Amino acid sequence: MMTDIRIDVAVIGAGPAGVAAGIGAREAGAEHVVVFERDWDLGGILQQCIHPGFGLHTFKEELTGPEYMHRWIERAHGAGVTFRTNTMVFRMEEDGSFWTMNPDEGIQHVHAGAVVLGMGCRERPLGAIRVPGSRPAGIYTAGTAQRFVNMEGYMPGNRVVVLGSGDIGLIMARRMMWEGASVEGVFEIMSWPGGLRRNIAQCLDDYDIPFHLDHTVTQVHGKDRLEGVTVAKVDANKKPILGTERFVACDTLLLAVGLIPENELSRMAGVQIHPVTGGPVVNQCLQTTRENVFAAGNVVIVYDLVDWVSAEGYKAGKNAALFALDGLPKATRRFDVRGGENVRLFSPQWLSDQEDATIFLRVTKPIEQRCRVTADHGLFSKTLRYARPGEMNEVHIKAEQLRMLPPDVREIIVDVEEE
Amino acid sequence: MGAVEVIQRLFDVIIIGAGIVGAALARELSAYAMRVAVLDKAAEIPSGASRANSAMIHAGYDDKPRTQKARFCPSGNRRFHELQGSLDFTLRECGSYVCAFEEDEIRHLDVLLDQGRRNGVPGMEIISGDTLRDREPHASREIRAALWAPSGAIVNNFEAVVAFMDNAQQNGVELFLETQATGLLCSEEKQEVFGVETTKGRFLAPVVINAAGVHAGEISRMAGEESVRIRPTRGEYFITDKTVGHLVKGFFFACPSTKGKGITVASTAEHNLLIGPTSTPQTDLEDTSTTMKGLEEVLDGARKLVPDIPPGAAITSFAGVRANTLSGDFNIAVLRKPRGFVNVAGIKSPGFTSAPAIALHVVEMLREELSDRVIMTPNPRFVPERTHIPRFAELSMEEREALVRRDPRFAQIVCRCETVTEAQVVEAIRRGARTVAAVKIWTRAGAGRCQGGFCGPRVADILARELGIPLEEVTRHGGHSRLLVGRTKEYWFRGNE
Repeated sequence: MMTDIRIDVAVIGAGPAGVAAGIGAREAGAEHVVVFERDWDLGGILQQCIHPGFGLHTFKEELTGPEYMHRWIERAHGAGVTFRTNTMVFRMEEDGSFWTMNPDEGIQHVHAGAVVLGMGCRERPLGAIRVPGSRPAGIYTAGTAQRFVNMEGYMPGNRVVVLGSGDIGLIMARRMMWEGASVEGVFEIMSWPGGLRRNIAQCLDDYDIPFHLDHTVTQVHGKDRLEGVTVAKVDANKKPILGTERFVACDTLLLAVGLIPENELSRMAGVQIHPVTGGPVVNQCLQTTRENVFAAGNVVIVYDLVDWVSAEGYKAGKNAALFALDGLPKATRRFDVRGGENVRLFSPQWLSDQEDATIFLRVTKPIEQRCRVTADHGLFSKTLRYARPGEMNEVHIKAEQLRMLPPDVREIIVDVEEE
Repeated sequence: MGAVEVIQRLFDVIIIGAGIVGAALARELSAYAMRVAVLDKAAEIPSGASRANSAMIHAGYDDKPRTQKARFCPSGNRRFHELQGSLDFTLRECGSYVCAFEEDEIRHLDVLLDQGRRNGVPGMEIISGDTLRDREPHASREIRAALWAPSGAIVNNFEAVVAFMDNAQQNGVELFLETQATGLLCSEEKQEVFGVETTKGRFLAPVVINAAGVHAGEISRMAGEESVRIRPTRGEYFITDKTVGHLVKGFFFACPSTKGKGITVASTAEHNLLIGPTSTPQTDLEDTSTTMKGLEEVLDGARKLVPDIPPGAAITSFAGVRANTLSGDFNIAVLRKPRGFVNVAGIKSPGFTSAPAIALHVVEMLREELSDRVIMTPNPRFVPERTHIPRFAELSMEEREALVRRDPRFAQIVCRCETVTEAQVVEAIRRGARTVAAVKIWTRAGAGRCQGGFCGPRVADILARELGIPLEEVTRHGGHSRLLVGRTKEYWFRGNE
């Protein structure tokens, strides 16, 4: 028969957010904390990120993805977190309970005092960006190619074009070159890179891989295997400019055209999803619109650095445990966060007056000069040397500041402007 | 079945083409004690127009009375409804609306209504724009009237083709994939046919049926019959995410024009929105590329009917090439010369709908006109039912539990978007899937919003394991469509550990 399982805190996903959430929940006093992971191993996508560059903020040193996760997983084992791997959560109910499945235990119904969603995000496929043409073999998201190369030891192709300049695309351009493939270029439809500047320098510039801003792929060619792509320059409205098309021969097209928070389960639970971030609407406690469901990491908003994902995961786990133990302070006042003109997305979407808050935000357009990130009512102001869409900015507000705001203040606007 | 083994094989009937026509015909012929071979040049079925179309089971009001289309479409529609249960494919009764915006279009609805009644289409009526919007709140405010046909339905066209063929194979029909017909074997001066020359060797039979879709013209010419002139027409489509699949319940058509039935909007059997097609004549029989212009036309046309369709909701696009003919009607005939050769050609819209009725008709033609070449005695082992691979995603928790206990591989999710399990993928391979595309056709693994980003490598692993081939030999859709080109440097450096 189907078994019912009762635990204090359940975490869905054992990537950087989920592992830290498990630790946070245990350290806040929850007894029985279980992290459910559909993969055989822990670590999420960082398992295949074998390049260095992780953990500069958390550990003050540069680690590879597996090294970074190894440290967190060790800590989780030490803290008494239970992991259930090869276990898929395939359905969630509105009361926050959910159904898991694995070949050993069959189907189980899990009831937890609180749940932390840590499912991460997935890559946007070709169809979603409407590139016309045929559908031959040889078109992969950068992450799929990374899995083939780094985890399984296979080459997806020999002659590569990368569409989009998200970080995984940049990392994979270099990785394919190291493996002996020729990389014909990285094409980005925007006028600025999607990923971190340091990855442009270390992955493209250092290897003379051509980088074309304001360019896109307008057609895919080839019946069985990819034979090439047509690329073109785009105008200010991102429409291809007639006469700038050229054919680039390649057998592989890697896509790094955006990441989408993965929220099927959140939707089943009836959690409100924000139309812009694509993730659950949360407050600074990472509590969703269902009070027993918390969420952290790329399932909420796509972060630039894993350090923030781990930190937010820990916070979500801690607050989930407090909720399960009836110790999470209830908001007495509520402030909605709004983004100013140059703010593309941000999280959390609302603040309670009971806890210090960090608001993460991304700008719409780059500002390549001194600028200022602010929260109104004089809550926060910080000067930046620049602000770029590929890199997140933070706003820090103390609970005490929130409590001192005049009673008619119900909204806080965050913005980034030139000085 | 390796190429070397099939040097010369003897059958009673050879069908060229395993689209819906070939599959439905194979299934009907499997009720008789005869050896039937179905040849298809693709590595998975369906691969041609039966794979890429509107998935509509038309009611049958579009076609002028006394045409073959008018004859077979309504009866094909009935046959689909009859066989849905016993062949276990997904058919969703949704009804269809032809939407009129202008005065002359409203008048045209009357013409269609009259045509439909004469063709024997049940239950049709013309409703006002407001009545339409009461039933379908997202229909455009500009729609002034609509023709409602309750027998219009949407089918999972992948499942329907494999269901007919699967049942045919259970009853003894043999399917040969990646087997392209290169010539007909005929007696002198093409008096009679006795087989097909293929890329995999010779197949001999006294009856050869041409159900080759867009390639029917070439096959017919091999028989010396020039009357089949295919005018390939490309139709481009979008599939949207399931989050907008609720926008319509029925199948929406714009008022038909000379170019065809126009852009349609429908919620698929799995609740994605399917929008399209364009209708672009082309010379190439195989080119199923989509174009920027075509996809814009599709989106504009669809938003005219249902303005709430968000432009960004597409998860994939595709195109199909239809076997249009100059006459505009089906071309179904037993040729006098070469004796034994049958054309089932020009089966374009409503060809998918008509196919099961055409199949019954062709069986009758064989019985009446080719009794000297083929003997039609009942197949004593004929089983008219088959079941599909369990659709795990659609089952209740109790049914899932039962499956998991029967086979723990049902607890191993391969495709998370569509909740497809390893057991389903393994069963698809057992029933003949050899490519990543075939597994998608059988199970929907890779048909969801991430379009195989997650499950692609896993499906490839299972194919390699089950077929006992190296991972590098797994293809997307046969031929040269290998997914991988070899091992990494690092793999060789570490000594294949």
